[in-house]
This record gives sequence, structure tokens and C-alpha cells, in this order.
Amino acid sequence: MSHNAGPYAIEVEHLTVSYGPSPALLDVTVRIEPGLLAGVIGPNGGGKSTFIKAVLGFVKPDLGRVRILGQPVEKTKGLVAYVPQRGAVDWDFPITVEQVAMMGRYGRIPWWKDPGRQDKDLVHQALAMVRMEDFRHRQIGQLSGGQQQRVFMARALAQGAEVLLLDEPFAGVDAATERAILDVLSRARAAGKTLVVVHHDLATAAEYFDRLILIKQRCYGYGPPEAVLQEELLSEVYEGKLRLFGAPAGGGA
Amino acid sequence: MTGTLSHLLLAPWQEGFFVKAMLGGCLIAMVSGVVGCLVVLRRMAFLGDALSHAMIAGVAGGYLFMKVLFGVEAHAPAMLVGSLIAAVLTVMCIGFVARVARIKEDTAIGVMYTGVFAGGVVLVSVFKHVIHIDLMHFIMGDVLAIATADLWAAALAASVVTATIILFFRAFQITSFDPVMAAAIGFPVVLIDYALTVCVSLVVVSAVSMVGVILVVGLLITPAATAYLLSDRLERMMVLAALFGVSSVVLGLYVSVWLDTAGGGAVMLVCTLQFLLALVLAPKYGMLARRLRLARMVPQQLAEDILIELLKAEDATGSPDAPGTPGIPETPGAHAAPLTPEQLATALAAHPRDAHSRDAHVRAMPPRTAMRRMAGQGLLLLDSGQVRLTEAGRTEATRIRRAHRLWESWLDHLGEPADALHQKAQALEHVHSPEALDYLDDMLLHPDTDPHGEPIPRDPAHFAADARIPLSLLRAGDCGTVQCAGRACPAGLVPGTSVEVLPRLDHGRTWQLRLPDGTVRTFDHAQADAVLLEQVSLAEDRAAPPASPPGKPVR
Repeated sequence: MSHNAGPYAIEVEHLTVSYGPSPALLDVTVRIEPGLLAGVIGPNGGGKSTFIKAVLGFVKPDLGRVRILGQPVEKTKGLVAYVPQRGAVDWDFPITVEQVAMMGRYGRIPWWKDPGRQDKDLVHQALAMVRMEDFRHRQIGQLSGGQQQRVFMARALAQGAEVLLLDEPFAGVDAATERAILDVLSRARAAGKTLVVVHHDLATAAEYFDRLILIKQRCYGYGPPEAVLQEELLSEVYEGKLRLFGAPAGGGA
Repeated sequence: MTGTLSHLLLAPWQEGFFVKAMLGGCLIAMVSGVVGCLVVLRRMAFLGDALSHAMIAGVAGGYLFMKVLFGVEAHAPAMLVGSLIAAVLTVMCIGFVARVARIKEDTAIGVMYTGVFAGGVVLVSVFKHVIHIDLMHFIMGDVLAIATADLWAAALAASVVTATIILFFRAFQITSFDPVMAAAIGFPVVLIDYALTVCVSLVVVSAVSMVGVILVVGLLITPAATAYLLSDRLERMMVLAALFGVSSVVLGLYVSVWLDTAGGGAVMLVCTLQFLLALVLAPKYGMLARRLRLARMVPQQLAEDILIELLKAEDATGSPDAPGTPGIPETPGAHAAPLTPEQLATALAAHPRDAHSRDAHVRAMPPRTAMRRMAGQGLLLLDSGQVRLTEAGRTEATRIRRAHRLWESWLDHLGEPADALHQKAQALEHVHSPEALDYLDDMLLHPDTDPHGEPIPRDPAHFAADARIPLSLLRAGDCGTVQCAGRACPAGLVPGTSVEVLPRLDHGRTWQLRLPDGTVRTFDHAQADAVLLEQVSLAEDRAAPPASPPGKPVR
């Protein structure tokens, strides 16, 4: 897949998606350059997950289009990988770390064939990249929260995806795990991947991401964190439900 | 004796019905086990129930169709096709009802399958002079009266289903584990779901004539559930489930011949006993294994008390950097102060035991056992009758000391009398999540010392080599380079400036920085939170190893 077909990793133009009279997304236009770590922020029910679904090609837009590396999203199966929320995974499923990563290859293996040498190599590289080789025969429920997140990162990398969509990877993990996950994200970015992360914690958004997308039905802002985290923008989007902002680390006793 | 045994084992094989039952039963049990794994993992157990009940409508429909149109009595293929159609229609109805109204899926299943089942029963009764189906046989089944036609049906169903599962193993695996991902990389998820439903229907339809409507679900679910307790990989789970299915048929049939009981009942009973055995004895996920793991775990409070006692002993016997320093791990070689296990046990007896702690239900563990286990975890060294901390143990102990001293400060801040501080903090120190401690630290204005004047160790997690550290977390003597992370630096600080932290003023409310030109800037708490420093070198890090040259003059 050549990159020069389109300069943008993700190109969303005038996207409108509705499930009824009020749109989930209205005229959203965002162009994300390759090799960036972008955070999607916005209030609950603001359309963050619809945005992710649209980039995955799961929703039929009422209007507008989504392109991945210059290709219409419908034609780019496998170029976009999805890393689910931890709560959405059955951690008791009888499957090992290595087998989960191998699922990234399933889209490319014809149904009558077994995974080949190349598939196995790619899986091992992906596991090495997220530093999970030592755990490859573990059942996935026998891992810590951060390790579990990394397994699914490995799966996305083994898939050969250029765009990785992560749904709240930092939800419910402690600070040290958050660091470890962030480290893996940075490594993927250094390898040229584009990462789009749904994120709920505004306090860390500026520190973690190169770009922020502020969504509440419409796209209220896309750009570097300091351009998006404007107080008047945020108070408009969050309608005063955002008490914490302004004094990021507490004001003392 | 041997004669009796071989008679018991071999005699039944001389009966044709027994051979047929064995053959058919094993085939069905094998394939039920394999498909059952997917049913269990997808939480569709109730669906098997629904399918088996819905069948009767299909059987009656197929019977009636052939009888009325072609005059053929009890045409097996037609009844089979009829059952399949009824099964798939029921599944579609369930999906439909769950989609169009507020009814949840489990309720929809309950409503639809009993409805279709009732329809079948009424159909059979109304046309009882045309349809010659024994309802009791349908409900209870009779594996020992298996017809040759049923045997063929079972063989066909078993081969089709097994072949489908093996050929499309990856498709079934990924759609069961992560349907979103499967769809994203182009698997036809809906088609695969229907293929699985058809497979389950095939198995159920061919199994009903043997074990009956009521037990068929057991044959589908129980061997798979048993295998689930014993495997970490789907393919192994399927093989094991097939084996457990076959073994319950073999054992069950013998039991039924020996004791002259209903075949289906004996088979399911053996199947259930196998499950119960696995539930108790499974090496990893069984109840015994769980109990053992819990019993081996050193209760958190005890482990932490041991660590903190050892750290105290190190301080007391004048290891090179005794009390005065914050407890960032010291140099090795400071293992000066080992205790004997007896001394340690005596010291532990003075610690309060919180009756409400979540460890309370665990039986009290002797300190000796706890020490051995902790040595196994690499926290302690046990040799020649003495106990010492390892480096990892010291880090952990320091973390708990930080918790204890922060809690003491917090209690003091809340106005607790001074003589109660220690006792209460000893109970509270077991609450030491980084978030909780950071909160206390922040509310207390990041104190250097506790109410007794003892230094509060810092959390090494804050001071990773490449971290940007807020000024508020730094103490006198620390040095670093200003970096404000895109925000405007307060008080006109210029990013990139090397600075040194000076002692705080106003009872810790004002932070001070000295710039390279000697000027001093002051910051309140909010400002100190906003000033970030990079390449920080901590005062104690430079002071501790005597050999390393100080980068900057220490105050």
C-alpha cells in the first residue's frame, strides 16, 4: 500500500452519521497526517465511538466520506486495526498471547492454509515490539492489565495495520501501567504508525498526544493540544460539567 | 475374578443394540463436545435447549408433509430437514424479537422455544392418527434402542459438522473471541454465526433420538465445560471435550447395562460426575487449586509488616545512611542489620491486626512461613538464621514507609492527638495505591518530613530518568532544567534554564528556585505544579554514593 496515494493517514470529510433525527456526527472534517499519536476527546455520548466506527468502516455515513491513506475506507480492510476496550474482551477465553497476535494475520491467510513462516515471523516481531515475547504461551487472563493491552497492540501490529484505533486504553489502569502503554504507543508511532486513541482524561491529554480531536457531534477542534485545550472551547463542549479543568493538579489544602 | 470382569466388559458387545448405542453415542458425543466448546464460549447454552425443543415442531411438520403429499410413513430425512428448518427459524425469531422490542435475548429465547415446542406438541396430538411419534420417546430418548437410520444420520451429521469446524476453525475462533476485529478484517461474521447455528442444530437433531430433548443440552455443554476447566487453548479444549463426551458415553452405557437403567440418564450422570471432578481437581482453574493458591499467598498486612520491621532494623543499627535520608534504595552493602526470625516475630506481634481487612478470612499465617514465601518472591534473604531485605524488598519497604509517614502527617493534619498517630497510621499504611498517596501528598503540600520529623521517602515512580517533574514534588538541593510542556512558564522562567531548588518558605507554602545568575524566584503551589523540570538530579542520589562526583554544589 503506497503512502503517496494520499498524504493523510486518515481523511474524514464532511462526515454525517445519524441513528435518528439527531446526528451522532455532523459535518466532521478531520485530516490526520501519518505518524501521529492523536487523542479523541469529548463528553460521553458525543460521538467518539461513532467516529471510531466510521474510521473502521463500520457505519454507513449519511453524507461525507472516510479515506485511509488515500483509499476509500471500504477498500482498506486490514489497514486499520482496532484495539478493544479491556472490558469488551473475554479474558477467560482459552487462547494464548501468541494466538491472539496471530489473529492479526487471519485476514491474510486463505482458509484452507495454515499460518506460514512469514506469519509466524511477523507475530514474533510484533510481540517483541511490545515486549511480550516471554509471555507468548500464557493464557491472556493470566496477565496484568498493561500486558493485556500490549497483547492487543501486538495483534494490531502483526496485522500490518498502518492506522491503529484504541478504545480507552488507559481506562482503569494504574499510573505505572499507563506509562508502559504510552511507551508502546510511542514505539508504534516511531515505526511510522498512526494512532488514534479515545481518551477521557483531559488532565493528561496534552502530555500524551501530538494532536487532539474534540468531538461532540461536530468536530470542535483538531490540532496540537494547546490549540484544542482552550478554556472557552472546552466549557462550550462540556457545558460546565468540567470542574477539574483550569487547576490541573489540585490547589492545595 | 478376572473372568467376571471380562464378562462384565465384553458380554454387552454381543448384543446388537449395545454396539449400535456405543457407535452412535460416541459419534454424537464427540461432535457435541467439539461444537459445545463454541456454544459455551459464546454463552449460547440456552440456545441448545431452545433448538432441541423447537425440533419437535420440525419433526412433526416433516412427518406430516411426507405423509400427506407422498404417503410415506416416518420419512427420516424429511423429519431431519424439518427439524433443521424449525431450529433455524426459531433462532431467527429469537433474534427478531430481541431486536424489535425491549425484550432481552434470554427472555426472547425462553418465550420462543417454549412456544414452538408447544406448537409441535399440539400438532402431534391433533394429528395423532396420522403422525405416529411417541412423545415420551422424543423427550426422554433411548440410546439403547437406536435405529440404524438414526445411526446413519448421526454419522452424517458428525462428519459434516466436524469437517466444518476443522476447516473453518480460525473463522469460528475469531468470531467467538472478537467479532468486531473479525468484521474489521473482512470475515463474514453473520454468515459464520448462522453456520454455527446450523452445526448446533445438526448435532442436536441427531442426538435427540438417542438421549432425548432434555439431556441433549447436557451432552452439548457439560463435556465442553469440563474441558474449559482444563485448557488454555481452544483446539485443546475441543479435543478434550470430545474425549470427555466419548468417555461418558462408554462408561455410561456400561453402567446402564450393569444396573439396568435408562441409557441417556446413565450417560449424563457420568458426564456430570466428570465435570464435578474437574471442578474440584483441575490443576489451574479447579477449586482445590484456588484454595491452595490463596493459602500460599502471604496476607498483604503481614508481608508489609515484615518488610517495614526489617527496614527499621536496618535504620537502627546504623547502616551507612541511617535515619536522616529519604529512603530511595541505598547502596548494596548496606545489609548491616539482619534480624533473627525470632526477633522479627516478636516485633510483628506488636502490630495491630485489622479485623475488617480483606485478608481476615485467610487463616493466620505463621511469620516463619510468610518469611519463607517472601524469600521465594525475592523480597527477603534467609540465611544462617538471619533475615535481611533484598534490594527489591527494600524498595517495597520504602514504599510502605512513605505510606505510613504520609498517613501520620494526614492524621496530624486532621487534628488527631499526637500519641494516636503511629497506631492509626500503622493500620492505614496498608492503603498505599499511588493515586491515594499522591492525593495525600498534594493535600499536605508535599511535605519533606512527618510530624515526628522523620523524612518521608519519595516515590521513585515520579522520578523516572526521562520524566518531566513538577517543581512541587522537588526538595531542597534538587537540580534540573526548566521545561513547561507547551504552557507558559510562570514568573517569566525561560525553558532550558538550569535551576536549583532551595528550601521552602512560609511553612512549605512557597517554593524557591535559584537561577544560574544567582537570582531567586518564588512560586505558590499552583505555580509549582505548573513548572516542570527535566534531567532532574535528586539531592539524595548525589549524596548517597560517596564515589560519584556531585554535579552541582549541594546546599
